[in-house]
Amino acid sequence: MSEDSTLVFKALKGDRKAFEMIVRKYEQPLTNYLGRMTGEREAALDFTQEVFIKVYCSLGSYRPAYKFSTWLFKIASNHLIDHWRKKKLPTLSLDQPIDADEGSLTPQVPDPGPSVARKFELAEIRQKIERALESIPEAFRELFVLRHVNEFSYEEIADIKSLPVGTVKNRVFQAKEMLKKRMEGS
Amino acid sequence: MRDCRNAESFYLYLEGELDPAERRGLESHLEDCPACREALAERRLLHEAFTSLPPLEVPPDFALSVMDRLPEPATVGHRWLAPLIAATASLVVGLFGFYLLTGESLSDVLVAVSRISGSATGRFLPLLAKMFKVGTLVLKLAADLVSMLVTGLGAVLHALGPQGIGLILGLGLLLSLLLFFGAKRLLSLGEKT
Repeated sequence: MSEDSTLVFKALKGDRKAFEMIVRKYEQPLTNYLGRMTGEREAALDFTQEVFIKVYCSLGSYRPAYKFSTWLFKIASNHLIDHWRKKKLPTLSLDQPIDADEGSLTPQVPDPGPSVARKFELAEIRQKIERALESIPEAFRELFVLRHVNEFSYEEIADIKSLPVGTVKNRVFQAKEMLKKRMEGS
Repeated sequence: MRDCRNAESFYLYLEGELDPAERRGLESHLEDCPACREALAERRLLHEAFTSLPPLEVPPDFALSVMDRLPEPATVGHRWLAPLIAATASLVVGLFGFYLLTGESLSDVLVAVSRISGSATGRFLPLLAKMFKVGTLVLKLAADLVSMLVTGLGAVLHALGPQGIGLILGLGLLLSLLLFFGAKRLLSLGEKT
């Protein structure tokens, strides 16, 4: 049994310290994920808290056969989707075609544009990425964040989002090229 | 410039996601293609930035504030067992008391209960009625066995008189309560520590 599964088992037995350990272990990655998805730190902290409460109430349905972090982020992702639906914010399904501008993201090398590497130092690039992240559709942003901020494997992301691995890889790539394009345009 | 790869291959290469054959093919191509080398260098810098975005600050007391907001403990869903055990124990005690007070055969009581249940259900669900009939037979056999045991015990209780019977019923009730609270304590897995 994994460490997480053991903590879940103890929490189900009423050990609140065990659940607190789960919170301490995942508060940072969850805030990083939700922060990038909402674009606001305070909102991210509120969301993170709500997700942990949801997780606590659903612990009985967790099956140790699955990776706990994958299960946790699935709940977080669904929580975000619910929030957006309630707020009626425009969401972009992964099955929806992206607009004409984004649809042309099939760059072939050599890339004729000005080199991003030459234009910015690494720290500047990070700042640009943070800003650019807010402007790309959340369906792409989410997969990018799960992959590069939370460092999930493509297979784990496929589990979290219930998508084929190939689709996840392609969408993460598209997200990166969207970011690159926006950074070059800024 | 032949066989130039698309940018997705570069990202997958940088992430170590290409299989060995693809990786060797790309590396071999890079040796002869300055444009692809430049494109890869650009993606390498981006990749480095993508994978090193700074964490967002989490307040030190965040975990405690989450714990304070937690609702009633989560359970694994076995709480229904406690009332079930208590109900079963109460039924046994009730039937036993009925037998002691009325002198009716315990097997007759059990069979009558089963028949009433069986016929009522049978009107609506014939299949369920058949199952009840089978159950009734099984129950009758079990009841006969219990009856034999109880007959012997009844003789002893008869010798004890009404006070003895009251004492036994009281003990039965106490046993039910103990079973209920014991089961509840054992099965309420989400209690606060």
